[in-house]
Amino acid sequence: MSSVVTRVVARMLLAPILVVAIAILVKGFADVGDGFSAGVVAALGILLQYVTLGREEVERTLPVRLLPHAAFVALLGALAVALVPLSRGDPILTHSPPAGAEVTTVGKLELMTAVAFDAAVFVLVLGAVVGIVHAVARAYEEMEAT
Amino acid sequence: MRTWAPPATVLAMAGAGFVALLWLWLTGGGEVDVPWAPTLDLRLHLRLDGLAAMYALMATGVAVPVFVFAWRYLPHHLAQQGRSVREQPRFYALLGMFMVSMVGLALAQDLILLFLFWDLTAVASYLLIAYDRQDGGARRAALMALLVTAITAVALLIGTLLLYDRYATFSLPELFRVAESSTTVTVAGALIALAALAKSAQVPFHFWLGRAMVAPTPVSAYLHSAAMVAAGVLLIGRVYPLLELSPVLLDALVVAGFASMLVGGVLALSRDDLKQVLAYSTFSQYGYVVFLYGLGGESGVGAAAFYVVTHAVAKCALFLTAGAVTRATGAQRLSELGGLARAMPVVAAGSLACAATVASLPLTVGFFADELLFKAALERGWVFAAMALLIAVLTLAYMARFWTGLFLGAPRTEAGPVPGAMVAPVGVLGAICLVAGLVPAPFAAIAQDAATPSLLAAVPVEARYYLDLRAENLLALATFALGALVHAGHRAVPAAAEAVARLGERLGPERAYTAGLAALNGLSDRVHDLEVRDFRGRVTAIFLPSGVLFALAFVLTPTVGAYAVGSFSLGDLPLVLMLGFAACVAVAATRPRGHLTMVLTLGTVGFALAVVYALLGAPNVALVAVLVETIVALLFIGVLSLIPREVLRSQMRATRERRGTRFRDPAVGLVAGATVFVLVWGGLSRTGGEGDAARRLTELAPEAHADNVVTAILADLRALDTLGEITVVAVALLGVTKLLRRGRLW
Repeated sequence: MSSVVTRVVARMLLAPILVVAIAILVKGFADVGDGFSAGVVAALGILLQYVTLGREEVERTLPVRLLPHAAFVALLGALAVALVPLSRGDPILTHSPPAGAEVTTVGKLELMTAVAFDAAVFVLVLGAVVGIVHAVARAYEEMEAT
Repeated sequence: MRTWAPPATVLAMAGAGFVALLWLWLTGGGEVDVPWAPTLDLRLHLRLDGLAAMYALMATGVAVPVFVFAWRYLPHHLAQQGRSVREQPRFYALLGMFMVSMVGLALAQDLILLFLFWDLTAVASYLLIAYDRQDGGARRAALMALLVTAITAVALLIGTLLLYDRYATFSLPELFRVAESSTTVTVAGALIALAALAKSAQVPFHFWLGRAMVAPTPVSAYLHSAAMVAAGVLLIGRVYPLLELSPVLLDALVVAGFASMLVGGVLALSRDDLKQVLAYSTFSQYGYVVFLYGLGGESGVGAAAFYVVTHAVAKCALFLTAGAVTRATGAQRLSELGGLARAMPVVAAGSLACAATVASLPLTVGFFADELLFKAALERGWVFAAMALLIAVLTLAYMARFWTGLFLGAPRTEAGPVPGAMVAPVGVLGAICLVAGLVPAPFAAIAQDAATPSLLAAVPVEARYYLDLRAENLLALATFALGALVHAGHRAVPAAAEAVARLGERLGPERAYTAGLAALNGLSDRVHDLEVRDFRGRVTAIFLPSGVLFALAFVLTPTVGAYAVGSFSLGDLPLVLMLGFAACVAVAATRPRGHLTMVLTLGTVGFALAVVYALLGAPNVALVAVLVETIVALLFIGVLSLIPREVLRSQMRATRERRGTRFRDPAVGLVAGATVFVLVWGGLSRTGGEGDAARRLTELAPEAHADNVVTAILADLRALDTLGEITVVAVALLGVTKLLRRGRLW
């Protein structure tokens, strides 16, 4: 088990890492970054918790068990973004509002379905990595136990 | 679900379908024609013409007695095998699927649509034949039926595409208008006829039908009398105007039909198993139809249509008879059965009418079928009439053997009670055969209508008794006399037939099928072994072919000016240094001391490349590279922790000590590296159109509400790729949980 200092520092780092991840996601359309990178950054933050605090404590204190399930929900969401235009007769994955049209902005973020798609990528990558980490950790514990 | 619901549903479907189709047919047919994929010239073109009406009415009409029979048959069948009644819905769903695809096949007027329904019937029949899936024989038989009919279906597709290539249409009416006698049409017609012959189990594809008799009785009765095998002759009737353009094809049909009639008749005489006798009889009877189509002309095509419809009714009842007899006695061999007429009078009477129909005795509708056959054959010449006579005699002989063997003579087995629902269909179908023997007009009308689309003109089909000494009647009389003679000498004849059958088994096409299957299996195993024996093999399997392709590309492309040496400024120094560092680490990665070192070294290569991307002004790519390297290295270490340390050590030692690799591996690496170097150099030297795609995307980015072109590409311009990639990630997660946690996500 890690020393107290590492544990405290890891704990303190989680929030900033998640903030950075969200920033990378949100600013992705204007600046460096995208949903995939944001997902990996967030997953690295969670992985840091696993490494320093141990699986049981992380899963007791953080709602990580939802993440792998969320990954599949996100995949469904991405599919919805892809398929809904078909019902209007547009090609698959036609984003709205369309190119060149006026968009509502929140700060630098422009609200459109492409952003929702990117967010789905974020959740899926985060959920998949956490799911894999959990599976590896559990498998390791089972191996140690026998 | 209640147990009566599934059979009741399909029964209602069949009944309603039959009534609706009949009504539509009587009111002049109907047509649906909507574009399906206009860019590919595909149309959903269904039309209820005479031919479609006949086969669709057969598919739904014969389905009714079969489904009634199955209702009582299936629970008993499942109970015998110790299976749950919950498996019932699957059976009826498959039967329903088969019926629908058969009706669709009958109605289709577009060759691609036809192909689609064609394969759907093959899939449904595969699942139905293998319904007793715990039985290896059933599974093999199903696979055989599927392979024979689906591989030849490819011939149908090729023929279709040949015609499309020539005439730019898939639509059959269109094709009939424009097609002229030419080699293309002959080849395409031959391919389509090949598919049809395989589906109708004609020589040399007949072996699948005999094997398919392991299916439950309702399946045999339905698929192998009125539906699946009828699909082949349906196709011949459907594309007949094309076949007619090349006389050589018609002659080939005569040969194939005659061979099938003969082989089928002989085999039917030699078999002991009830359903086998009927299967070979079916195969022989469809030989008649193919023979008649080959004879051609008004009388040939009209007789073919008449034959199909009488045979469907009669043969279905005979299959159901076999099922009822087996249910009553538990026996399914002719040698174990006999004298059942007293115990099962209705079945005996019904099947007598049907057997007489198949054997073409007067007072049954089958009589007219043979009259028409003789008439068509006589028109072509006495040789053909002799062929027809020979086959008619064989048919009479094996039908007599079948019926007398079952119902006459001394009783050999106890006959238990049989549910009424299993007896009634035989009786009803037998009654139809008799009534139609007196009033053949409806059968003649439908056959006449069915022959019209094949000849593109109305054909008279006359079915009536002529009480005079015309040649047809004389041939019929000769048939009865010779048939009786053959039946009387029945001890010697089956023995001779048996010998022929045994010879056929030893040298026949089934052997070729088995050998072909074994050879393919062996080849597949060898390729598989080669590819996945070890990691090196797997890598080689990918890199070696691609290396050869690249080398070919090298040889074939002009090299003048393809390799430009650019200029070098001092500002590029960090880039070059970083690349050099990456190269050094990559070399170091080939001399690992342990798995952990290897992972970390490879990670270092990735990080060095990330720096290169950053220096080249691609911060997005650099960010992703850094993140991916980090997470991959960490997950790799996590997975390594799951492998026992001794295993890792011994693997490492084995790699180091493997003989023969000291020179080979570096040599392979050098060659590969040099090739890739030259390739990349060549690629980067072409400055011409290189930036175009990139520039266009960059210009699109602001349009797509994004200043960051990479994100715009990932989430918008190339979002479909991204969708595929995230699906892969999700599947990978499933794979990991399956491997490590037996599928538990948490």
